[in-house]
Amino acid sequence: MAAGLIARQLTKQGVQSVVLERGGDYRGGPEARIPTQRDELRWDTRLGLMQDAASETYTVRRSRSETAQPMRRMTAFLPGTGVGGAGNHWSGQVWRWADYNLALRSRYERRYGHGSIPRDIPLQDWGVTYDELEPYHDLFEKLFGVSGQAGNVRGKLIPGGNPFEAPRQNAYPQRPLEITEAGSIFKETVEREFGYKPFPSPAANSPDPYVNPDGMRLGACQYCGHCDRFICEANAKATPDVLLYPWLEQQANFELRRHCQVLAVDYDRTSARARGVRYLNLLTGEECFQPAATVILAAFTLTNTKLLLTSGIGRPYDAATGEGVVGKNFCFQANSGIPLFFKDRWINPFLGAGSTGTIIDEFNDDNFDHSGLGFLGGAYIGVNVTSGRPISARRVPPGTPRWGTAWKKANADWYAHSCSIGAQGSCYPHRENFLDLDPDYTDAFGQPLLRLNFDWRENEQRVSAYCTDQALKIARAMGATIVGPAVSRTSPFDLRLYQGSHVTGGTIMGSDPATSVVSPRLQHWDAENLFVAGASVFAHNAGHNPTGPLAALALRLGDDVARYMAKPGRLA
Amino acid sequence: MNSERHAQQSRRDFLRTVALSAGVASLPGTVRAADAVEPAQAPAALEATVYFSLGPDEAAFVEALVTVLCPADEYTPSGVDCGLAVFIDRQLAGAFGKGERLYLRGPWRSGRPEDGYQLPLTPEKFFKVGLAAANRACGQKHGQDFSALSAADADAFLQDVADGKFSQAEVALAEWFNELVYPLFTQACFADPLYGGNRDKVFWKMVGYPGLPAVNGVNMVKYRGKPFPGSRAPKSIEDFS
Repeated sequence: MAAGLIARQLTKQGVQSVVLERGGDYRGGPEARIPTQRDELRWDTRLGLMQDAASETYTVRRSRSETAQPMRRMTAFLPGTGVGGAGNHWSGQVWRWADYNLALRSRYERRYGHGSIPRDIPLQDWGVTYDELEPYHDLFEKLFGVSGQAGNVRGKLIPGGNPFEAPRQNAYPQRPLEITEAGSIFKETVEREFGYKPFPSPAANSPDPYVNPDGMRLGACQYCGHCDRFICEANAKATPDVLLYPWLEQQANFELRRHCQVLAVDYDRTSARARGVRYLNLLTGEECFQPAATVILAAFTLTNTKLLLTSGIGRPYDAATGEGVVGKNFCFQANSGIPLFFKDRWINPFLGAGSTGTIIDEFNDDNFDHSGLGFLGGAYIGVNVTSGRPISARRVPPGTPRWGTAWKKANADWYAHSCSIGAQGSCYPHRENFLDLDPDYTDAFGQPLLRLNFDWRENEQRVSAYCTDQALKIARAMGATIVGPAVSRTSPFDLRLYQGSHVTGGTIMGSDPATSVVSPRLQHWDAENLFVAGASVFAHNAGHNPTGPLAALALRLGDDVARYMAKPGRLA
Repeated sequence: MNSERHAQQSRRDFLRTVALSAGVASLPGTVRAADAVEPAQAPAALEATVYFSLGPDEAAFVEALVTVLCPADEYTPSGVDCGLAVFIDRQLAGAFGKGERLYLRGPWRSGRPEDGYQLPLTPEKFFKVGLAAANRACGQKHGQDFSALSAADADAFLQDVADGKFSQAEVALAEWFNELVYPLFTQACFADPLYGGNRDKVFWKMVGYPGLPAVNGVNMVKYRGKPFPGSRAPKSIEDFS
């Protein structure tokens, strides 16, 4: 996602660029055509579009005293591969985070006092303000034809939108998606019973045919229920391979080189400059070197960190001392859900788009008073009905036998009448949650696997418990026949469960080189001509999907690099 | 070159043969061209399920297994008649069974449950050693193979396996059942019939999943909160091909 956005800005400003992509194209293949596109087993269950764990996966340990084990199947989160990366199989939620997130440490200290942030939670300000990013949020929404209901236009609150939204200069370029039946029940309930302000999820699923400022087109979403984890055959999901690369490849000063596995950034320690990148041409088996005046790492979040570590650029983070930076502040998201069963309501889960959600933000981030709660952070709470795919999206009431006639009866009775209410929780950095290189395991290219040192720490478990409890109160008021178990996110981190793909951090941004890998301009502190883009620069993760800020930062970086190319030096 | 082409040719013939018999078997009660030519052959084809991966004893176990998990009742025919054993066999014989997308490099260390799968075995091999271990555990408890148990005993035995009651078995049987066998069972029920299970879309009809309709833009509004007509006649990949 980030690479295509950066390349667009560079190309527009006459800078010549090459994007190295490890995968190939999906357009025109079975993953993008009817009927093979609608194959749940192939693309969802068997993860046909995802990074191949047999070639490259991650090891995981929950504390430094453990020996890490490889995640042998890509399960807990799902990195993509191919032109457009994870931006192809995404669901399309595009958020503008609450503006204070970019200066979160200052915000909490100002509101709750200087001792309010525990010592083992290294929150830090990002060094960029929302006002600087606003025009880039706006540009991204237009490029990707984002649909939604504005909540705050130039400080004026708009009914029906998110009252906690950061102020925007313009409304969304497209109307919201149609609401689902479950969304309607949720909306009525939270308005009537709690006085909350529900709103439609902002979505890069196009409700109508759309032409973006580059003349690139989206079709109208068909609410087919095969969005997240799939390629949209209707060209209605805004993705880099629909909106960015076809345009870029028509430009004379751009080249996309597919099937190129980047192995390392070639770094000259003496001059503190990146000379270019080494990559393996997967079509010939040849190792190649691409010299470059400027190198931008815009791989999947975790790959950015891995490449810096394997290239020996920057000081690796050391959890024992808290010093060093590469691999620091690795975060995930503390998500949870509660199944609901409505005997007399037709939920029809198969009628949905990737982002047909109805959401409240009353309990997200610092939108509520944390005094005395014993944790920091929060979650959005809502009903996302996005798929009725029957292998994965079937729910049966608690106590249902796992097989036999009673199991079939429960499936027959409840499939079309169930949904779940979910909480997508923030995840703040913890001193012991970090990334480094595994000492034992290697990938198909002979490089070490990246090791995730991660567990759900006290703060995130409390966030999840509190927000899941809020969701449960709503669930109980929704008139469901049966409310399923409310299970919040707890330790130990379980590799058998998909928990979302929003991993962040590892190459974080900030204004202090002692606590960040890149500057607020995303310029590497130890290599002036090296930049990093993607959610790896996030200093923490909020209770919203990361693509909005990721995209805004990437577009701004494109402009910054064009500026840098014209006049090299440290960007202020 | 010649022998390679020959091998490809015969494999193709083999596949065509199998596909034909599976095709006949998948549509009981409907008239197909093959039936019209040689009607007497049809029942034979129905009985002669060809397995790629499973040997006869393994097939007997799996057929008994899917009959317990999916007995013939008012919702569906028996698991065997729904193609569930065929689905499992095809998955084991295919890319999934051979370890596609599975990281199979050492070192190998026994993990904790929350580490997920940590065995140096492809899913096909794990399935088979688990099956053999389950049969041995069954023999010790009941004095006979799993496939010879009464329906009630077989059901209770699987419940014990799932609940980890056979902790002495040399294979982690609860993990084997809960993380390999059971997911294959639900996939067999609900995946597209293309893969051999969910024959005649019987499980989609059972729950009311409409399958692959390409256009729901209008339906999204028209059938919000109402019974969806498409649920009565689901469409599969074959229907669109």
